Amino acid sequence: MSLNEVWEAASATPFHPIVSKDSQFAIGFNLLFVAVIASGLFGLNRSFLSLFTLGVPAALATGFGAVLMICAVGVYV
Amino acid sequence: MRFFTATVLGLLAPSLAAASSFTAPTQLAVPADFKPPQVFKNVNLVRNTNLEKGYVRETINVVVENVDKQPQSDYYIPFPSDVFGRVGGFEVRDKKATENGRFEVEVTEPVVSTGNQYFVVHLAEPLAPKAQITLGISYSVLSALSPRPATIGQSDKQYLTYSFSAYVPSAYQTVTQKTKLKFPSTDVPDFTETSGLKSGADPERKGATYTYGPYETTQVAPGTEQPITVRYQFTNPVISISLLERDLEVSHWGGNLATEERYWLRNNASQLTNQFSRVEWTFASYQKAPSSAVREIAYPLQPGSVDPYFIDDIGNVSTSRYRPGNGKTAANLELKPRYPIFGGWNYSFKVGWNNDLSGFLRRATGVDSYVLKVPFLQGPKMSEGVQYEHVVLRVVLPEGAHNVRFETVEGANSNGLPGMSQVNASLSTFKTYMDTLGRTTLTLEVDSLTDEARDAQLVVTYDHTFMDAFRKPLTIFGGLLTFFVAIWFLGSIDTSIKKR
Repeated sequence: MSLNEVWEAASATPFHPIVSKDSQFAIGFNLLFVAVIASGLFGLNRSFLSLFTLGVPAALATGFGAVLMICAVGVYV
Repeated sequence: MRFFTATVLGLLAPSLAAASSFTAPTQLAVPADFKPPQVFKNVNLVRNTNLEKGYVRETINVVVENVDKQPQSDYYIPFPSDVFGRVGGFEVRDKKATENGRFEVEVTEPVVSTGNQYFVVHLAEPLAPKAQITLGISYSVLSALSPRPATIGQSDKQYLTYSFSAYVPSAYQTVTQKTKLKFPSTDVPDFTETSGLKSGADPERKGATYTYGPYETTQVAPGTEQPITVRYQFTNPVISISLLERDLEVSHWGGNLATEERYWLRNNASQLTNQFSRVEWTFASYQKAPSSAVREIAYPLQPGSVDPYFIDDIGNVSTSRYRPGNGKTAANLELKPRYPIFGGWNYSFKVGWNNDLSGFLRRATGVDSYVLKVPFLQGPKMSEGVQYEHVVLRVVLPEGAHNVRFETVEGANSNGLPGMSQVNASLSTFKTYMDTLGRTTLTLEVDSLTDEARDAQLVVTYDHTFMDAFRKPLTIFGGLLTFFVAIWFLGSIDTSIKKR
């Protein structure tokens, strides 16, 4: 099977990103905003419990938010 | 962060399992006094030479007969060694079954005794004794046209010369042959008239088409030359790109295909006799008079192309216009260089734009497998043609892409590319923003292309797992979480001074 046939066979399944180009900025900005707030709250109360309730969500939101935000400003990673 | 990257993500990294198609062009070793075995005869040969563009495009249709007693499958096509490197997009097909695709072609080392270098065409099936096959051979010869006079006034007409042999260079005896030349106009002030090669006028002229031959050349030894020189009007630039670097960056997170092309352009037209006159140039521009200078570069882009930019060594060039099209029609980028590019002048610049990835990438039927289909070459679309001396195409795939395979799409007609054995393909990694392992990069290098390859398509398949896709956010997550844990740990150490 030639690769062009693979292409033709996949005509029903075009690639769509997890977050569309139009909503990258909104979602990225909100995630980073949540991350800043959560990080700040964790900074105020650095307990073992808040490490999980605030630290983990903040780190997750930063991870996804940073990737989406850098895409939103035109550096497509 | 680096420690985390190296230890944790390094273990998760898939190997860039290279497919079998990654090859570097090789040349067949031949003895110093090599001569192709005389097992074929060219029964009838017609060469069409097209001089309408800034390079020479030739198609040769030849009826080949096996005169040996054994079936034969290797047909040799000679070129002088100094021309060989400038032959681009070489392709041979069975003229009566073009849909079967091109024949496999290899190249030999230069042969010292004759100064020739050969393309070796491997026929799909050996040709039986006394059987015939019609071969369609097509190629371009770059930098074969020279302006004469070499220097002209700024608004003068330009003339190019082209020299060739009336007898088509062949490794085999040829019974009859002729050459048809197609000029851009009927203004052909000088051309060689032969005598004694055939009865009647030679060449025969009909409008802008000149025909040398047909000649009966049974008694002429293969390789005999009969020099012909023609000189014709071509008041257009002779655009030559000495190097094109074309980058295609695939971003799954961004849903984007970013293209950037960097050009090192030179105009091989007649040089200016006198200093450049801005006044004369402005007059000529108003009259839209033909000129040997590059005034504007028309650059068609695919529908949906956005965010175009045009930058040269100084910075952004504001004299460009972008017509985005209406979604169905092609977009058009019209570039005006900072200055008109006259003969012998250079201009280097880069252009880039973005496209939605969904039009170029599909999920293949396998798990985590993707198939990408992109144009091999885009470049300017100019009536006078564009020749590329060296093209480096880089397809930057997402980080972690592995099991990469590629091929170019072959149709019933030539796609302007040479066979894959003439393409230098390699796989590497390229590190840029937010990368931990580096992005898998497929690099294809080709010499001597022309804008005939504008329609060529490249298909790349690769695997990209869930873990590969989430590597970037999870790396940041891991790094930040480590930081938070460190803060908590340091904050929980009791450093107070008190009695224990």
